Amino acid sequence: MPEISLWLKALLTRWLTGLAFCCVASVGWPAPRTPSDAGEVLERLPVKAGDPDASRLKQYQQAVNRAPKDAQAVTALARLYFDLAMAHGDPRYVGYADALISAYPGQLSAELLFTRGLLRQYRHGFEEAKGDLRAALAAQPDFSEAHGWLAAIALVQADYAGAGQSCVALGAAGSKTLQAGCLGLTLAYTGQLAQGYQALEKGLARASDPGNRLWLLTRLAEVAAWQGRAALAESHYKSALRLGLTDAYLLAAWSDFLLDQQRPKEVVALLAGNEASDPLLLRLALAHQQTGSPKAPALVKMLDERFAATRLRGDTTHRAEEARYALQLRRDIGAALALAQANYEVQREPRDARILLEAALAAGQRAPAEKVEAWFKASGFQGAPLSQLLPLLAALPKASP
Amino acid sequence: MSRGFWRQGVMRAVAMAWLLLTAGAALAHKSSDSYLAVQVQADQVNVQWDIALRDIQFAIGLDANGDDQINWGELQQKERELQAWAGSRLSLQRGGSCTLGQASLQVDEHTDGGYAVLAWRGRCPRDAGPLSLQYSLLFDLDAQHRGLLKLDLDGATHSAVLGPQSGVMQFAEATTAGAQFLQYLWQGVWHIWIGFDHILFLLALLLPAVLLRRRWGRGGGGVHGVSRFKDASLSVLAVVTAFTLAHSITLSLAALQIISLPSRLVESAIAASVVFAAANNLVPMVQGRWLMAFFFGLIHGFGFASVLTELGLPTGALAVSLVGFNLGVELGQLAIVVVFLPLAFVLRHTPFYQRGVLLGGSWAALLVALAWFVERAFNLSIFWWT
Repeated sequence: MPEISLWLKALLTRWLTGLAFCCVASVGWPAPRTPSDAGEVLERLPVKAGDPDASRLKQYQQAVNRAPKDAQAVTALARLYFDLAMAHGDPRYVGYADALISAYPGQLSAELLFTRGLLRQYRHGFEEAKGDLRAALAAQPDFSEAHGWLAAIALVQADYAGAGQSCVALGAAGSKTLQAGCLGLTLAYTGQLAQGYQALEKGLARASDPGNRLWLLTRLAEVAAWQGRAALAESHYKSALRLGLTDAYLLAAWSDFLLDQQRPKEVVALLAGNEASDPLLLRLALAHQQTGSPKAPALVKMLDERFAATRLRGDTTHRAEEARYALQLRRDIGAALALAQANYEVQREPRDARILLEAALAAGQRAPAEKVEAWFKASGFQGAPLSQLLPLLAALPKASP
Repeated sequence: MSRGFWRQGVMRAVAMAWLLLTAGAALAHKSSDSYLAVQVQADQVNVQWDIALRDIQFAIGLDANGDDQINWGELQQKERELQAWAGSRLSLQRGGSCTLGQASLQVDEHTDGGYAVLAWRGRCPRDAGPLSLQYSLLFDLDAQHRGLLKLDLDGATHSAVLGPQSGVMQFAEATTAGAQFLQYLWQGVWHIWIGFDHILFLLALLLPAVLLRRRWGRGGGGVHGVSRFKDASLSVLAVVTAFTLAHSITLSLAALQIISLPSRLVESAIAASVVFAAANNLVPMVQGRWLMAFFFGLIHGFGFASVLTELGLPTGALAVSLVGFNLGVELGQLAIVVVFLPLAFVLRHTPFYQRGVLLGGSWAALLVALAWFVERAFNLSIFWWT
């Protein structure tokens, strides 16, 4: 018996010291270490000192520190944070902006309400975001940015009547280019691809700002691809790329087009060095998988870690990407279907419909994609390859086994 | 800022909006998280807290030389300030505030970059009772920051995401030793009842307990029932005691990780033990069944241990759980014997028992166990329901 108690004691101490670390390690917490060299670089900061953003950031932060109640100063800093989040694809800035507005002592101005709406839609809090945008518009009816965002949210939610209203309001507020884009997309999403394409072209003819041109060219390319006009889509993508702006959405859309065209090698070349962004890493991994490259497993493992990290904090904004990763890279059809369904409850754009449809087809189940069928019927959407996948779904028995 | 600033950016900004709404959130590198591992055993506390260097830079500043990089030397220079800042944003109570001593500083990497790792040892006023925790790191600066908590409270693990609305948490103390004991006792009972291979082995050994074999050779080696209940009981007692002793030994050794055997080997050997026990009823090979019970009981103990491993042995109540589980196995086994023995004793003289149950039952057990053996040893699937 004394031996047993000795074993127990030894085991207890061993387990107690080991437990925290083993449990922690199982969710990806490696062991800490002590560097030997004081000069060892542990982290590189995202905004460099020479960067114009860095000096603006400092200036705006100082302005807020001097006058924390000044709505203009707080708005300017919050918007800069949001723009930095967009430019660098870094959500930490969204958290900074959020804390800044939360701490604002007085009643929120139209611009602060608007900015809070941007932050909320970023986290897919679409209803709250719409509330903020509408409140901003109540205070300032010609706030064209607020109309633009309302239209964008309506399209994500497949609320085409709502999008149409915002398009009209955009025109009334004097933004003809944005109105053309808004109308073009609403038409394309509701099955009128040709008219939608024309409206977007009209917008492009009017647009001089490179950012607007890039946006319109990207969306023109998408509509052309839906129409099955691959060469035209490619020329639009290439025109957009020639503008020389760094734009992750463009890179993702162009990569998806190339993957659909079975041209993975071009994606590998395009996206090398873009691993920091999860959606681009996903496309890079898909491209490596398509080429049968030995690098694919390492990229999939990186994605494993990324998604595990976001899951840990209860973040659900990546579900559409994660569904694609589960279906196409991990071949976990059950997980892909659950993720795609959950995503479709929140986001209902054609790409969201597509991943749900693909997951349901892979599972051989019609029921989970019921809402996509309903959306097709209600919207009249026509785009390829979605519209070719739909009959395959309809061929499945209605009740799942 | 003037309205002019806005008007200038409107077009670009809205265009960006359209692009980013559909991709924006997904483009995220990662929001800010800290990783907080807290271990409380009685009144002893260990804390390991991984905080992103970028977050520390934003809160208290680390980049002393302004080169947009943070190196180990810069972090060390700020160690005191870091400790004071982080320490003021975490508090633990168990019967009053727990005191944390000096932290040690190390570094680590997570998916989004470098982290400072602070580790404390401390002590709470009480060694029992609920634990409360207040967490407020960075919430004033980053509303999307979250603390990812792993708490080990007296051997029971909890995890939680700590946010601005959920920064204060209370955790009930782990179940008492008594409740733990009962829980594992029941698990032991349950696992012998659903462990068909263990039951089959036991029954194969017990079936002949109410019978006496006629002398070998003459009369074809037939059987007849024992005359007294006491004879049957003693025989059953010997088998059950030997089985219990043997599997208690190996269950403990395996659960304490002193010996471990590959599960395929153990499971195959268990199936083989049933085959052998059943075959012994058809063609007697071993006279003392208690010897078989002991020998094979050693193997069955490893099987029980794998169940226990799956359940997870709580670190804080290892002995209590182990004893509880083992006693549960004995109780479950006893319940089977209590049902079996009187029935078998009543039927012992009937041909139904002597031929149907003993021979038929042993054949059935042998065949089933043989199939198990093939399944387990060669990793095949024979039974459709397995």
